[in-house]
Amino acid sequence: MEKGCFKSKIWISVLALLVAMPIFVVALSWLFPEHELWTHFSQNLLPGLISSTVILLIGVGIGVTLLGTILAYLVVMVEFPGRKWLEWALFLPFAIPAYVLAFVYLGVFDYSGYAQVWMREVLGLPGFDIRAGSWAIILTFVLVFYPYVYMMTRASFKRQKINMIEAGKLLGASPLKVFFKISLPLARPAAAAGLLVTLMETLADFGVVSLFNYDTFTTAIYSAWGDFRSIEVAAQLASLLVLVAFFLIYFEKKARGQAKYYSADVSNKKPYHATGIVGWLISLFVFGVFMLSFAMPMLQLVIWGWESAGEEWSAKYFDLIASTSILTVSAALITVAIATVLALPGRCKQGSIWLKGVIRMATLGYALPGSVMAVGLLYGINQISVINIYFGGESINHIIFGSISLLLFAYVSRFMAIAYSSIDASAQQIKPVFTQSARLLGATRLRLIWQVYLPMMTPGILAGGLLVAVDVMKELPATYLLRPFGWDTLAIQVYELSAEGLFERAAVPALIMVLFGAILMSVFQYLDKKSSKTS
Amino acid sequence: MNIKTLVSSTVVFSILTVSSIAAVQAASDDSVTVYSSRKEHLIKPLFEAFTKDTGIKVEYLTGKGGALIERLKLEGASTQADMFMTVDAGNLWYAGSQGLFQTVQTETLKSNIPSYLRDPDGLWTGLSVRARTIVYSTDRVKPDDLSTYEDLASDKWKGKLCLRTSKKIYTKSLAASVIYNHGEDKAGNIISGWVSNLAATPNAKDSHVMNAILAGQCDVGLVNTYYFGRLIAKNPNAPLKLFWANQDTTGVHVNVSGAGVTKYATNVEGATKLLEWLSSAEAQAIYGSLNKEYPANQNIASDDIVSAWGSFKQDDMNLSKAGILQAKAVKLMQIKGYK
Repeated sequence: MEKGCFKSKIWISVLALLVAMPIFVVALSWLFPEHELWTHFSQNLLPGLISSTVILLIGVGIGVTLLGTILAYLVVMVEFPGRKWLEWALFLPFAIPAYVLAFVYLGVFDYSGYAQVWMREVLGLPGFDIRAGSWAIILTFVLVFYPYVYMMTRASFKRQKINMIEAGKLLGASPLKVFFKISLPLARPAAAAGLLVTLMETLADFGVVSLFNYDTFTTAIYSAWGDFRSIEVAAQLASLLVLVAFFLIYFEKKARGQAKYYSADVSNKKPYHATGIVGWLISLFVFGVFMLSFAMPMLQLVIWGWESAGEEWSAKYFDLIASTSILTVSAALITVAIATVLALPGRCKQGSIWLKGVIRMATLGYALPGSVMAVGLLYGINQISVINIYFGGESINHIIFGSISLLLFAYVSRFMAIAYSSIDASAQQIKPVFTQSARLLGATRLRLIWQVYLPMMTPGILAGGLLVAVDVMKELPATYLLRPFGWDTLAIQVYELSAEGLFERAAVPALIMVLFGAILMSVFQYLDKKSSKTS
Repeated sequence: MNIKTLVSSTVVFSILTVSSIAAVQAASDDSVTVYSSRKEHLIKPLFEAFTKDTGIKVEYLTGKGGALIERLKLEGASTQADMFMTVDAGNLWYAGSQGLFQTVQTETLKSNIPSYLRDPDGLWTGLSVRARTIVYSTDRVKPDDLSTYEDLASDKWKGKLCLRTSKKIYTKSLAASVIYNHGEDKAGNIISGWVSNLAATPNAKDSHVMNAILAGQCDVGLVNTYYFGRLIAKNPNAPLKLFWANQDTTGVHVNVSGAGVTKYATNVEGATKLLEWLSSAEAQAIYGSLNKEYPANQNIASDDIVSAWGSFKQDDMNLSKAGILQAKAVKLMQIKGYK
């Protein structure tokens, strides 16, 4: 027994530490202190940045939690006009990269945007600088990232025992009271998981904050690197982000607490039917969110794309679509496979603080800005080469740099957190009694995994795979630096055109991305439905 | 062997296999490989024309300037790149200071490109010139009131100025030239003056600055001329005009996009040929028509739209100075609260 544990501990550790490699490389930067730059930063930049980052995190955190949870609750628990397609449609904003959405919002709501021009000219209201202060960027992030919380809490609400809610109703509790006293506490772990992913993504964002010219911690990272040419200080600052992420994860675990709720039954019965004016008001609200977060930006993209499709479209797009698909699918498969291994319940993992620790390390890459992680990887590989040469070997740089494997490795490292949190959440729902009875019946571990664990973890695996795939599709900085010759992706095309101010042409690849994301989501929906029927 | 071991070993094994068979497409011997932070749609037509002229193929990889420089540094002697092409003299200077270029000083380059647009040691060559100057609303500003970059810091522009973010390389180089011309103390005052005159949070893009002027949020701003060119091409009647700054003093601040042959180039001859070709009349005309930039080769006339804006005196500070002073400029802007 002990020996078996030893072996699996080694394997899991190797796997987790490999995924966490960029984190270690980034942490090693502390060996190269640079006092002068730190003095300048801590006097002139950091005080303001830290407060604006905290304000952003708090605002976005509260916003996505409220919006995501309320939307999920409404579509799962309440029957209202249009519910069926809205439940699906609310996922769609996911397929639009955050910086594209931010771009469209600024185009519409900034001083020179249609909305403000209309307000000034028709309503006679004074214009204002939408990028001053933090409310506008907070709202943007909320509309971009609410699907994380929505997706995770929706899955959780679906698994809540309907009879608990019926009991609440019978006891005469109002719908609001049932929501706050029964549904919300039960969905807390899922909301916390979605919130965690959102906060980490907000922390690492560079695209949206640069469009708004809103300074966050990443501003200092890019300033150290781009302005002062100090990759070391950039890495040191980035490692602080990782530290923040570490504490966020800690608090998320605490928020989950011991609240283990075991229920595997999915019911499609709705406890509430909102009819009449209330039903329509709910519809209007949910539809409004959909309009603002998806339909309106899409309309703008379609208008731009329509004007420029003739000029922009060429056979090159087949290559872009092909490389985007290959990268997306293979990265999602590998990430999900590793995350599943890390999340499988097992007696060896139970009491092992070491294993819990290394697995947590493997999920921290999400907090690193993509380009810092990418450069970290290059430095790591270079270090291996240096050691290799020291022992009389050769440099491996020319084999690894610019290879698909390195790019896939970067994706796995960066997106492990989302795959793991989703898969782990479903692993947590496996009742220990299943394992015990299977063991009593003499099932081998192989059969246990194959016939008990994997089927029960399928929803989490599918959701994790979808999230990783969509994120890989949208990923820019790591792809941009690490891709092999000829492996341009749709995201790169969007960036190259929009960076030069050619937004009309950038709309063409952006629309293809949305379509691609929608296809990924339909595949997910199909598999998800199929798996909930068979299990 | 339990299942966990099996699964994990399979995964590790497959990762290793993928790594070892990873296809690093080796460029064919006579082709030139370029790393470029100039975007694909701006370089592809140039390379295609070069291949047509010379029969030499060009492979390229685009990326962000800073990230590509790190990649080049780490690749060292094993790099596939024969040429590194980027925008902004600061980036070119930095790549040079990191030992990424080799000296290339041919007669063709010397006769095609004036010396202040080339590295003094011949590490890199400027290939297109971008001028950063004042843009103003013809409805609300009299051109007689405009004069210099420095003047935009004076009180009469309070609440009327829009600027692009200090994080953008063009702003950094302009600020570096202000330090070069005035020294740090006075430059600090000028930057403070700009900041207190701002009508809005600095914009992310030059096109946003012009939109803000059109919408009436502010009256004057600073832009690279080719962004103005694109806006006018789409909206010929826009009430906006360029004003050539500092004509009685230092001249309009210019920057370059340029390239150099990498230190570890395997095809030095081909890369040199490409560099010379890029400075030739044919290539310089393509630069001008693709992006409304000014030719670096002074013997070539600008694109028609560009010439219509008139000629002007350029600041002839050697551009490597802008690179050297850039870190100081950023520090100063951060201290003065220019976001």
